[in-house]
Amino acid sequence: MQAKPFVYIPGEHEAEKASNSYLMSLIAIIAGLPLPIINLLATLAFFIGNRKGTYFVRWHCTQALLSQLSLLFINSFGFWWTVSIIFSDEKITNHYLAYIFCVIIFNVADFFATIFTAIKTRKGLHIEWFFFGTLTNLICRPKK
Amino acid sequence: MEAQKVDMFLMSNGKFFETHQLAPIRDRLLQLDESKWPIIQTLQFKDPTTILIVSLLAGSLGIDRFLIGDTGLGVGKLITCGGLGVWTIIDWFMIMGNTREKNMNALMQVLM
Repeated sequence: MQAKPFVYIPGEHEAEKASNSYLMSLIAIIAGLPLPIINLLATLAFFIGNRKGTYFVRWHCTQALLSQLSLLFINSFGFWWTVSIIFSDEKITNHYLAYIFCVIIFNVADFFATIFTAIKTRKGLHIEWFFFGTLTNLICRPKK
Repeated sequence: MEAQKVDMFLMSNGKFFETHQLAPIRDRLLQLDESKWPIIQTLQFKDPTTILIVSLLAGSLGIDRFLIGDTGLGVGKLITCGGLGVWTIIDWFMIMGNTREKNMNALMQVLM
């Protein structure tokens, strides 16, 4: 995760909207617990709402969406594994504990990365995440 | 229109628009005919902060959407109980921008 120069200097209103995409995903995570899909739906709706926005806003909405999308798969598997342990004969194994530990580490890392990015983006800095930043560059293009 | 009148308008109504829209609005108003000034003066803009407060308190009923004139979205929000809470959260972050957009559209209708 590092600050990189953007193709243009974003304005104040753009920085606010881009930062909001991360903040909104944080609120949605907290409000949607323990269901892992709520924050993805919220981020997706926010992305759709800003699809006509400026390039900077769209770029950060896309990065927020992609990060939430990866979390969905990891969290969903953990969630339903936990449900099967609670409501069926499934036993708690070392594999399960290791997986849940990884899920927690990943979620906490994502949570703090999102807070950090929201703060920096609000100041107009362009923060690209490892992997997700590159992926976003491929998906999100400036309007011609 | 006179620069003094335009600046006075922007000083009292600047908060209703996005910051990047203020310069184009000023240019457009300066070119405008003096006869349109009474119409512009009587325009009623929605305050984004008030709408945000409404969204925080009654967002799940869609009141915020009704207030800015999105009746269809308001009804949708009301029926779905604020999109089961998700839509309400999204609107907390989007409603101020939407309100400023609506204000801009209202002003543009007069300026065109």
